[in-house]
Amino acid sequence: MASIELQHVSKLYAPGVYGVKDVSLQIEDGEFIIFLGPSGCGKSTTLRVIAGLESHSEGRVLIDGKLVNGVAPRDRNVAVVFQSYALYPHMSVGQNMAFGLRMRGLPRGEIEAKVKSATALLGLSGYLDRKPAALSGGQRQRVALGRAIVREPAAFLLDEPLSNLDAQLRAEMRLELVKLHRRLGRTIVHVTHDQVEAMTMGDRICIMRGGAMVQVGRPLDVYANPADTFVAKFLASPPMNLVPATLQATPEGGLALAIANGTSLAVPPAYAASYRAFVGRPVILGLRPEDFYEAPREPAWQPVALTVVALEALGAETVLVGQIGTDPPVELSARLSRHMAGSAGQTVTLYLDPDPMHLFDPATTRLIPRPPAPARARIAA
Amino acid sequence: MSAPAAMRDPDGRGRAGPRRLGSHIGLVLACALILLPPLWVLRTSFVPEPQTYSSDLMPGATLDNYVGLLTRNKFASFYLNSVIVALGSVVLALPFAAMTGYAFARFRTGGRLTRFAVLATQMLPPVALVLPTFAIFRAFGLTDSRLGLTLAYAALNLPFLTWILMGFFEGVPVDLEWAAMTDGTTAWGAFWRIVVPVSLPGLAAAGVLGFILAWNEFLFALVLTGPVTQTIPVALASLQSSNGVQIGKVSAGVVLAVVPLVIASRFIQRFIVQGLTFGGVK
Repeated sequence: MASIELQHVSKLYAPGVYGVKDVSLQIEDGEFIIFLGPSGCGKSTTLRVIAGLESHSEGRVLIDGKLVNGVAPRDRNVAVVFQSYALYPHMSVGQNMAFGLRMRGLPRGEIEAKVKSATALLGLSGYLDRKPAALSGGQRQRVALGRAIVREPAAFLLDEPLSNLDAQLRAEMRLELVKLHRRLGRTIVHVTHDQVEAMTMGDRICIMRGGAMVQVGRPLDVYANPADTFVAKFLASPPMNLVPATLQATPEGGLALAIANGTSLAVPPAYAASYRAFVGRPVILGLRPEDFYEAPREPAWQPVALTVVALEALGAETVLVGQIGTDPPVELSARLSRHMAGSAGQTVTLYLDPDPMHLFDPATTRLIPRPPAPARARIAA
Repeated sequence: MSAPAAMRDPDGRGRAGPRRLGSHIGLVLACALILLPPLWVLRTSFVPEPQTYSSDLMPGATLDNYVGLLTRNKFASFYLNSVIVALGSVVLALPFAAMTGYAFARFRTGGRLTRFAVLATQMLPPVALVLPTFAIFRAFGLTDSRLGLTLAYAALNLPFLTWILMGFFEGVPVDLEWAAMTDGTTAWGAFWRIVVPVSLPGLAAAGVLGFILAWNEFLFALVLTGPVTQTIPVALASLQSSNGVQIGKVSAGVVLAVVPLVIASRFIQRFIVQGLTFGGVK
């Protein structure tokens, strides 16, 4: 088992062109951490830098407290599972899984025992003699995982291992990986661009953008308190509604947000002190789609009239896309119960729970800090 | 009521018409243009020498041309020379071409300019190379020897094979090498244990192409070999006497010379179509 530490790691492709930009991160021994970000954000490059497959230009990489800058991948005691699986096509399943052990000179008996145990664990016992071409996508993914497991490395580095699987298999494998982590207790670094994987699998999420780390934290903490508008939009589907607004003081001494066409939303009094410095200035209001309801449950919930643009019935829930005002129209999405009915053009009134709202500074796109929202279980509408 | 023909057969394959007939006539003519010369050579190889220019389709049938070629003209030994030289040059050039091609493909060694510089040697007319080669080889006692010609062919084919293999290696996913390197191999080990086995179809195809080039080469063979060490193209060219070309024997020699090429072509097709990398990566 091993901890992994990145200290101010950068990778330059050309002067001023960063693949990874000043990433510092401490990954604890046995932790399951997710690198999340859009394509080209540097998450896979960071993973390959940890594995030693790509050199970095600046900074230090430590595995289990030992500096591994310049150490060959084979001497880092990490295993990588690639998005493409990277199974050796000329070798059978058994040979693929045994390859790493053979390279390390283990006795044949020991190799066979380890391969047997890993194939049993992954449900691949009947496939030892098959070539990768004769396996399904899910089986190949398991072999790639098995090849990593048999080596008993200090850490697993998984580079989007689930992205080539269909939705059902991906959900199954998500659970399998979490179980595997519990069973093996090894450090896992998992790279993905899938928010569901990020939210459900890891102890912590590290969100990257443009080669730099934007935010690190426990999934629900990051979800509830996104560091900036990028994280707010990226970490959910449908993403957080980001609405341009102006913060105003009310005659009663409170604060309100003026959005399109005269629509006004009251700011919860608990946040007034934090936001008062922004009175009279434009801000970006962040509202999660699930904070809209079809009926009020609390007196503080605020009615919002929306003209329906589209209704996406997903079975378990319905996503309503609607507009506030017309000049200019502001589009919002709301995640509602499956019982929500309506049609395009119809005006509906939804009720907003304002407590989870966030404000972002349009100049920096950073979150404007406020006190934590009062804890409350989501109320079924 | 049955559907109209055009609806039953939307791609029009079953439709006969003047355009279709015209294209068929064109195809038959093109086939004839390609096939008639080799068929004429095949026919002539079995026709007695005095009647080879007869206008009859098959004025007689004999194996005399083949027998004469193999006994009196020592064609078997020239055949052996060609096999040794062509195979030897491929065996010699292929490993170097593989390593060079891999270095170009994976590490961009020397940049684009070096890649083109390697190919530039292939663009020189052979006659510009053959005389200096002869001078150098004579200094080293390599003329009139199969070894000399083997070395010359290996050197001549190296840039071509390097380029073919470079393209093939570029198609091998780098993930495979990375997986091998985290599994415990060095970069060299990843090349040897993973890239080479995965690239066997490409290596085989390149090898066959190199073999064909060496098998058919004439100019270097003419300059660098002697009466005993000559290869088939030179031997065929020498089948002329004061009475003219012995066209029956030349035809028989061509037929014999083509046999390995036909086999090689089948081989190359199989290996090019077969992709060993399938299944290794998504």
